[in-house]
This record gives sequence, C-alpha cells and structure tokens, in this order.
Amino acid sequence: MGLLTNLRDSISRVTDGLFAADEPKRIGIYGPPNAGKTTLANRIARDWTGDAVGPESHIPHETRRARRKEGVEIERNGRTVTIDIVDTPGVTTKVDYKEFLDHDMEKDDAVRRSREATEGVAEAMHWLREDVDGVIYVLDSTTDPFTQVNTMLIGIIESQDLPALILANKTDLPGSDVQQIANAFPQHETIPLSALEGDNMDEVYTKIAEYFG
Amino acid sequence: MPHQCTSCGRTFPDGSKEMLSGCPDCGGNKFQFKPAGATEDAGSGGETGRASGSAPEASDRTPPAPDDQPAPDDQPAPDDQPAPDDQPVPDDGAADPTPGTPADATPADSPPSDAPASADPSPETDGTEQIADRSDEDTAQASARSEVVSPDELDRASREVDAVDTPEPPADDETQPGIDALRDELNDQFESIRIVSPGQYELNLMELYDRQEYIISLQEDGRYVIEMPDAWGIQDE
Repeated sequence: MGLLTNLRDSISRVTDGLFAADEPKRIGIYGPPNAGKTTLANRIARDWTGDAVGPESHIPHETRRARRKEGVEIERNGRTVTIDIVDTPGVTTKVDYKEFLDHDMEKDDAVRRSREATEGVAEAMHWLREDVDGVIYVLDSTTDPFTQVNTMLIGIIESQDLPALILANKTDLPGSDVQQIANAFPQHETIPLSALEGDNMDEVYTKIAEYFG
Repeated sequence: MPHQCTSCGRTFPDGSKEMLSGCPDCGGNKFQFKPAGATEDAGSGGETGRASGSAPEASDRTPPAPDDQPAPDDQPAPDDQPAPDDQPVPDDGAADPTPGTPADATPADSPPSDAPASADPSPETDGTEQIADRSDEDTAQASARSEVVSPDELDRASREVDAVDTPEPPADDETQPGIDALRDELNDQFESIRIVSPGQYELNLMELYDRQEYIISLQEDGRYVIEMPDAWGIQDE
C-alpha cells in the first residue's frame, strides 16, 4: 500500500469513468444487520442466474465478508440491465458477543463471530467509499428506521450522489410498517417487499432497472 | 509529542496523519501514545533501530491537520477529559492491570535503567506527578519496542482480559482511571474501532468510511494498531 497503489487507484478511477457505460454497475446491498440483505441478494441472484450469493440466517451478522455476484442480467421492458450485486455485512455501531449467546452459541464462537462482524462492518464502509456505483438500502419494516446507523449511511450515500433505492423488507410479517420507513426517508422512493416470500419483486426489478440501468 | 513509533522512536504531533500509513522512517505500525504533558523521552530516538518487517510501506506524507478530524456525535468531547488533578497516582505504575494480571508485571518488564525514575513518586506538583506517572508507562512500553503487533497479539490482548472475565466498563473506571483517560483522548483523535472488552466492539462509522486504513485500539495503555485493508476483497461467488 503506497504511492503506486494510490496511482493505480487513480488510474483505475479514470478508466472506470471512461468505460462506465460499458461495464455493469456495482450495486451494494446495504443496511443494518438482519434486515434481509442476503435473502434479497439470493432472491435476485436465483431469479436471474439460478445461483445463490451466501447463506441466510436469523442470527445477526451471518454475512461477515462482502460477497459479489457478477453479471446479473435483469430484463425489464424489453431491455436488459446488467449489474454486479455486492451483498455487504450489516452495518452497526456496536457489536456484542452476548447478542449471539441467545442463539445457542458457545462463548468462544460468539466472541469470534463478534470480531469477524466488526471487521465486516469496517469492510462494508470501505467498499461504500470506493467500490459501489449504487446502493440498495434494505430495512426491516417491522423495526424503527430512525436510527443513527440508517441516518448516517443514507447521509453518506446522498453525499456521494449515489443512486439509492430504499426497500422496506419483511412485509410478510405482522408488524410491518412500510409507511414508517417512507416517512423516515421522504427524499427517497421506498419500495415494499418480502425478499423471503418473493412478494413485490416485479416492482423491485423494475426500480433496479430504472435506477441502475 | 503524543505519538511515538515503538520501532525507531520517531515522534509525531497530536493529530498527525503522517503515521497512518506506517512510520515513514522505518515502516513500523506500532506506536505508543503519550498525552500532552508527558516528558520527552530523550533517548528514544536512537534507542532501538530494529525495524519491523510486517508493516505497510510509508506512503502519503500528509502534513498534520488535527482540525479536520471528524468528530462523531457519540464520542466524548475533549472537555470531558478528566483533569490531571482528578487522576489518582498509582504507585505501582499507571498501567494498572486488569484483575488477574500481576500488578507488577509492567514495571518488571521495564529496562532497569529507568526503574529508579519509575519508583520515584515525585510528589511536588500535580503536573510533576502526572509526568512521573506517564514516564512509568513509557518505560513499560519501551520493552516492547522491537516487536510489531501481530494479529495474534491483538487476539491475545483480548483474551488475557477474557480469562478473568472483566465484568463491565464501569468497574474499570474505578481501577483504571489512567487507561480510560487515555482511551478517551485517543477516541477524540481517530479511533475507528474500540475494543470495549473481548467480543464487544464500538465502531466509529464515519472514521471507517473516511479512512483508507482503519485503526484498532488495544486495551493496553496508549498502544494501538493501524490496519491496512489491502487484504480485503469482495468474495466472488
């Protein structure tokens, strides 16, 4: 890591800009832990490529490294939009191994998972700064969206002028409140969905094509 | 001179970004923190010349710009720092270890030449007490100058405390006022990831976002590690 790397990065950014029209956009799936990011990534990948991106779990911080699925071709309205999907670890300001003990995890495993999750958050923030062309921000519509993490991340995304699609996930659950999310971020369009059940995915794909195509 | 490379002894001013890519002189990535008011370590510059091998190369030499550090909302303001008068002066070294760690472990590892200074209580003024106190810490850390913090050490630093199952941070406040004050001061500058206790972390998202590298603080006095994300990479499926 040094001057050469910085120079290479600079050149890379210039060439990225020159050929941006030809290359698929790299879309980061961001959001707090347990919002359903990997479930959504898998849903999109399975629908259009037949593959999965990563394991899903109800235990927070299952995704502790960013995972990418390249060349996902989404067909909408007679044209094809190609994107790279990057499923990122859930972003949070605190990671506590005790949270995992409630999920029948041994303490050593919980501490290790906590450490990996922390590194995952650092990595997610790193990629947000340098390596995504757009963001799908996934929120659990059964929880309060007015959090420091959400406000900070949406603020960063806006400051970067990145196209952002906000998804209110888990509409299949009884406590889902999509309007609360729409109210929290009125400057953005909020799309309801259940990634788990596949509800409203048609609209999600239409919006992905519209925002990131 | 709040920061000093533990390999070559080079010092950096408060808020310096120069060291964020490793020490420009020797490439070391292990630094010790000396709060304002600490005595200058006259012999530190030439004390050891053993350079570390695993540190990243020096890159950008950005002039110090302490004022442009983002100040996240959840971090304590500088005004919250305990005044020197509020800090008890432990006789057995400022790095009062956590329960279970031998109380004299840190001073015992110190070079003998510095031992008399450490033992001197110097109860003249508050400032002097603080200085004597701090020099104890520096002496203790001097013994580790030839080493580079490795991931293993990071892990070990966590587990040593883990073994005795340190209860909660409030308990630490009573036994380790010096450590807490140092932590707060580091936090004010640029700490990205704070190890509250093993398996418990606090993350400064803006710092993580703003910086190419990220910084993990250790639980020991004034010691911290700068990690470069060159090993990071998105996993392709």
